[in-house]
Amino acid sequence: MFDKILSFGKSENIVIKNIKSHINLLCSASNCFKDALNKLEPEKASCVIELERDADTIRRDIISTIHEGAFLPYVRPNLCRFVEMVDETFDTLEDAALLFRQIDKSIFKTIEHECLKIASINAEMCELLQIAFETLHGKGNIKEKNLAIRLCEKQVDDIKFELIDKLIRIDVKNFWEGKIVSDFVESITRISDLIEDASDYLYIIEISLK
Amino acid sequence: MFEIAIIASLCIAFGIGSNDASNAFGVCIGAGLLKIKKAFILFGILVLLGIFLQGSKVMKTVGKNLVDVNTSILTISLCVASFLIVFSNWRKLPLSTHQVIIGSLIGAGFANDVYINTTEIIKIVISWIVSPIAAIGFSFLIFKALEKTISKLPTFFIERFLRTALLISAGLISYNTGANELATVLGPLMHSGIEIDKTLIFLSASIMVFLGAYLLSHRVIETVGKGITVLDPYSGFAAQLGAGGCVLLFTILGMPVSTTYSIIGGIIGVGLNKGIKTVKLNLILKIGINFIVSPSLAFIISYLFLKLTHP
Repeated sequence: MFDKILSFGKSENIVIKNIKSHINLLCSASNCFKDALNKLEPEKASCVIELERDADTIRRDIISTIHEGAFLPYVRPNLCRFVEMVDETFDTLEDAALLFRQIDKSIFKTIEHECLKIASINAEMCELLQIAFETLHGKGNIKEKNLAIRLCEKQVDDIKFELIDKLIRIDVKNFWEGKIVSDFVESITRISDLIEDASDYLYIIEISLK
Repeated sequence: MFEIAIIASLCIAFGIGSNDASNAFGVCIGAGLLKIKKAFILFGILVLLGIFLQGSKVMKTVGKNLVDVNTSILTISLCVASFLIVFSNWRKLPLSTHQVIIGSLIGAGFANDVYINTTEIIKIVISWIVSPIAAIGFSFLIFKALEKTISKLPTFFIERFLRTALLISAGLISYNTGANELATVLGPLMHSGIEIDKTLIFLSASIMVFLGAYLLSHRVIETVGKGITVLDPYSGFAAQLGAGGCVLLFTILGMPVSTTYSIIGGIIGVGLNKGIKTVKLNLILKIGINFIVSPSLAFIISYLFLKLTHP
């Protein structure tokens, strides 16, 4: 009769464990993507695609466990939105990895420095997101992590403007070459926005229960 | 005549179930902690425990100390009270069971020229005024205490704590429903001097409370929690515990007080922590008017009815 209460949060623990794994995979994928950019080896970015598949399975588990009754209904919507946001970050990172395979290397060389900086900030933001999530069931101040993530996002925004300035001056041979570069830049700069949104949901969860 | 009084009491018990199960388990059901049927079974069991373990003091106040109850007073007052309670449930009017019963008893007592203990009336009216105010204070302080203690803990710990806490506060409200609310209904019956099987009447009344909850309570479930200020589980717990603690205190003192008004007080107390603007003052004014109307209406109808039937 009271299995949900007497289980002492068994399903909640499963969700928390899975969310940690989900964010962990995102961190691994971000680092892997950063390495691929660093070494200019597009094949290495395929690890992102494999990790995204694993992450997708975990996301489905998380959402179904939450819908089976884990956590108070009051917390569920924002927790689900957080998970969906991490998943969208994964999808965007996967797009970036796929586009990196197609990008013209000489064009990439001209924007390499900025792209590396962005990839590095993205990887850092993933780790910050992981720490922010840890604060929900451990010690620490989520507000500080949230602020740090916002600062990182601001840095990416600044680099994005520099990138656009450079991109305008690049001569492209055809439509597809231009589109691939443009989409690639769009994808790597969007990741920070999504991580920031995910972190905002964590903050909302925190303040809604305090 | 006496059988009619028993039927009327059971009708009121049914009305209590339909109204007060939502007071107790509305938040828990809303929070998905318990399925509605399980919540009602638990509610019924706790009501039975309440009337058995702690109902005697309130029963004595209402049935023995207040008015010298005889069969006519008993039958008329309980019939009028049951009619008013069923009518208010049907029309969704927030009439308090306590106030209706006490008003009816005094009205019938006046009409029948029996001894009415004015000191007891004053004590009861003071309890009615003090109980929601005390609930405001209790809930305000509980919320503040939670803010200073629990809210410093990690979010997921708070979530886990709230799941258990909400169930405890709901249990307390259910227990009070038996120990105070149902005791008010059964008090006149138990102290009327007529031989009655205590266990059988307690059990029957508790079953009626359960049936009322099971068959009708979903109609009222949203009204209390959402009508005055929007409640999160954190505030819901503070409001319920404040109200539950307050009603339990008055039960120990033997005073019949309204759980509904105490919960409303609890919700206001929590709302005050978030600022006066969160409290809908218009609704409180309406409740204030009902506070006067309920016992007065019951008094007048009972008085007239007894005068007409026993000239």
